[in-house]
Amino acid sequence: MSAAVQASRFGSGQTVRRIEDPALVAGQGRFTDDLSRPGQAHLVFLRSPYAHARIVSVDAGAAREMPGVLAVITGADLVQAGVKPIAVSIPFPRPDGTPAATAPRRALAHEAVRFVGEAVAAVIAESREIATNAAEAVMVEYDELPAVVDAIRATAPGATALCPQAPDNIAAEMRHGDAKATAEAFARAAHVVSVEIHNQRLAPSPMEPRVVLAEVEASSGRLLVHISNQMPTAVRATICETLGLADENVRVLVGDVGGGFGMKGGAHPEDIAVAYAALTLKRPVKWCAQRIEEFLSASHGRDLTSRGELALDANGKVLALRVRSLANVGAYATATGVVIPLLVGPWVTTSVYDIATIDLHLTAVMSNTSTVGAYRGAGRPEAIYITERLMDAAARELKLDPAELRRRNLVRPEQMPYTNAMAQTYDSGQFERMLDQGLALSDWNGFAARRAASEQRGMLRGRGISTFLEWTGGNALTEQVTVNVLPEGIIELTSATQAMGQGIATSYAQLAVDVFGVPSESIRVLQGDTDRANGFGSAGSRSLFTGGSAVQVASERTVEHAKELAAEALEASAADIEYREGRFRVVGTDVGIGLFELAGKQADARIRADGSSTAGGPSWPNACHVCEVEIDPATGAVEIVAYASVNDIGRVVSPVIVRGQIEGGAMQGIGQALCERVVYDPESGQALTATFMDYAMPRADMFRAFKTQFDTSVPCLTNALGVKGVGELGTIGATPTVVSAVVDALASAGLGRDAERVQMPLTAQTVWRALQRDFGPSPFA
Amino acid sequence: MPSLHLHVNGRTIETDIEPQTLLVDLLRGPLALTGTHVGCDTAQCGCCTVLLDKESVKSCSILALQAQGRSVTTVEGLSRDGKLHPLQEAFIECHGLQCGFCTPGMMMAAAGLLARNPRPTEAEIVDALEGNLCRCTGYVNIVAAVQQAARKMAGAQGVEK
Repeated sequence: MSAAVQASRFGSGQTVRRIEDPALVAGQGRFTDDLSRPGQAHLVFLRSPYAHARIVSVDAGAAREMPGVLAVITGADLVQAGVKPIAVSIPFPRPDGTPAATAPRRALAHEAVRFVGEAVAAVIAESREIATNAAEAVMVEYDELPAVVDAIRATAPGATALCPQAPDNIAAEMRHGDAKATAEAFARAAHVVSVEIHNQRLAPSPMEPRVVLAEVEASSGRLLVHISNQMPTAVRATICETLGLADENVRVLVGDVGGGFGMKGGAHPEDIAVAYAALTLKRPVKWCAQRIEEFLSASHGRDLTSRGELALDANGKVLALRVRSLANVGAYATATGVVIPLLVGPWVTTSVYDIATIDLHLTAVMSNTSTVGAYRGAGRPEAIYITERLMDAAARELKLDPAELRRRNLVRPEQMPYTNAMAQTYDSGQFERMLDQGLALSDWNGFAARRAASEQRGMLRGRGISTFLEWTGGNALTEQVTVNVLPEGIIELTSATQAMGQGIATSYAQLAVDVFGVPSESIRVLQGDTDRANGFGSAGSRSLFTGGSAVQVASERTVEHAKELAAEALEASAADIEYREGRFRVVGTDVGIGLFELAGKQADARIRADGSSTAGGPSWPNACHVCEVEIDPATGAVEIVAYASVNDIGRVVSPVIVRGQIEGGAMQGIGQALCERVVYDPESGQALTATFMDYAMPRADMFRAFKTQFDTSVPCLTNALGVKGVGELGTIGATPTVVSAVVDALASAGLGRDAERVQMPLTAQTVWRALQRDFGPSPFA
Repeated sequence: MPSLHLHVNGRTIETDIEPQTLLVDLLRGPLALTGTHVGCDTAQCGCCTVLLDKESVKSCSILALQAQGRSVTTVEGLSRDGKLHPLQEAFIECHGLQCGFCTPGMMMAAAGLLARNPRPTEAEIVDALEGNLCRCTGYVNIVAAVQQAARKMAGAQGVEK
């Protein structure tokens, strides 16, 4: 096969085999727990059995004496050693104007524990078994305090307080929009609808638990931290800040990451304890989280209780949107945990609709639960869920087709670039076109016949639709990529973005093949090493449109730079050198030199160039998703019977990968709609869903017949590639679409607008109860 | 310590072993076969699935000593003579993996299914994978990959319809 054919087969837009896969299917992946070091010790955490308690004393004497135990580290030990809490900078004040508040989040709890499973002591031993047994011998005396696990009770008068700076448990609060104008719009509205919803707490649950292996490098004395994480540079920053180390003395290394979904974005407290143990013991120390530790202490997602209201005129045009939300951010407010509900969600709350008048009032509340952080979608699923549920409610109120109500409110193409009520500017979007294609793909107009057929079989059938957009990029819009062309025939791309299963290396390779015209086997993508590249990492569906653009720029620069080197080697003018498919040639002659041969001729045996790219703004992928469900009225069991989506993610680089992102992402959204929920006991604060036996993940039987289309005719205008982020779109769309379908089925079964009172997850029990007119208490009760 | 004799991926293993050692810990530890993964602590995720003789088992849920005298196949033993097994080929071709952490367990569960039922229906595949969790793919392409591998393997045995 010629190089040209290679490039046309493996370049962007082509269906390719992922370069990640051969190793992974052979069991040759390099996940962090697959690493072991000579003399490696094992760390096990002792965790709090109480949701809220004062630590009276910790007696580790007996544990320290056990054979094979190397050390027991307590929170007090770390404070004494000068280890700092994780720094937190939350850009919003509390309601009384004082700065945002949180109890200090430490590697190990000190003086108090604030959620079940909080790490209290670290036991390091020659084996995991010895460490586990020794942890049981650490005697902790607790003075139990009252616990509060939900945002409503946490903000009620007399609730137990998690930290003295916030006697009302409010970490921070934010209001957006114009409350007065909104009130006026509601006063003159022909129709007003409202919904009360709880966007329940979820456990991100990548299949690979968190793992850290820290060691002091003998040759340099530096701390090496091997970790499964999406943001290596952020991990380094947290470890350096808390342990008082300089950046250059710490190297963070990431191998294969077995899923992240936002949860593995930056350091968790445990990571600091492992690093400290390795530093002080001068031994490699490994901690591999058990699944129960993931449920208890890895950051959770969502947990937002909202009342949404929509004011509309007689024709169904939205006049104003008002939202009041309480975000349960867990025991420790983090910047991520607070910014997601207080800022990121609001950015997309008006979504694809032309709604100029908004009043958003958002409060971040602390409770005796695990800390909430980013989980696939991070703020956009919560916001879009509110808005789409309101659009459905309005359609029902106005007796309009829900697609028609949406159509009347869409931002029109001629309004682009469109600045929404949160001052966010959409560069591009053809929302009505997505809607029309979604209706066609789902055979919208054939629904009545399908419903009749379901009813013939005694089943209820419902149909749901969402038109929506999302914001991607994490507002970290610059990436740099370094290209090294090596004589052995390798083109190495180094990037600070981070693979976590999404196939970003393959997509980068395709972009590089476009420029270099060499087979994709020549491309190596190097990530996960803070000695080689530093940056934001991978989160917020940013990697392709920032890092991919940088791959293109750096690759083009490499070719330009190499042309000059080729001119020298061939004793010609650079202007006369042309490059094609791995070879430089003097125009009009047979004189030439291969790219890799040229690399070998350089003094440092490589051709190197850096390239950076800055996107002009976030990307705004958008879509129309349509779902149909059948409900067995005898049991309440919901079955998804159809799911169609048309997605605008701009230009598509890797067709198979983006389909996998949309459908796999949609499955996570379906999981939230139908089965997943983190539950804490409201009295004791105990975690009731700490295993996969209690936390219901979607399994292979959930749904697979996705109809997924991409409309690539609307490229993003703010990045060099024209691509829009795809990682979270499916998750954001699936939850409201599936719930909308269930509500539609229930409403049509005689429940009318009462059906809107159902709360996720829509398990058989919840749906069956709704059919008996039992909707449970209001989320605000 | 009791002694253990078994075959792993065709290799004969003789070792002394603590009686409480789980099969997965033998594989990942002393045998350094790290393709078999541990994703949970309650035998729910299936990442550690291997073949014990021809039956798929969760290697976190049996003791190494229970494999006494038997034959264990891990993901590392799927390919033969440097050639990928049809399941491995199909998982690549169908984009049946994203992060790849659940993949070895998925393939071994599928291998167990195909050993006892070479021409499974889609429903039988789904049923056989009920003990294996995947968070990335939504299972769509995993089921498709098993179907494709089954077709290829049945064809190779000359029993294709």
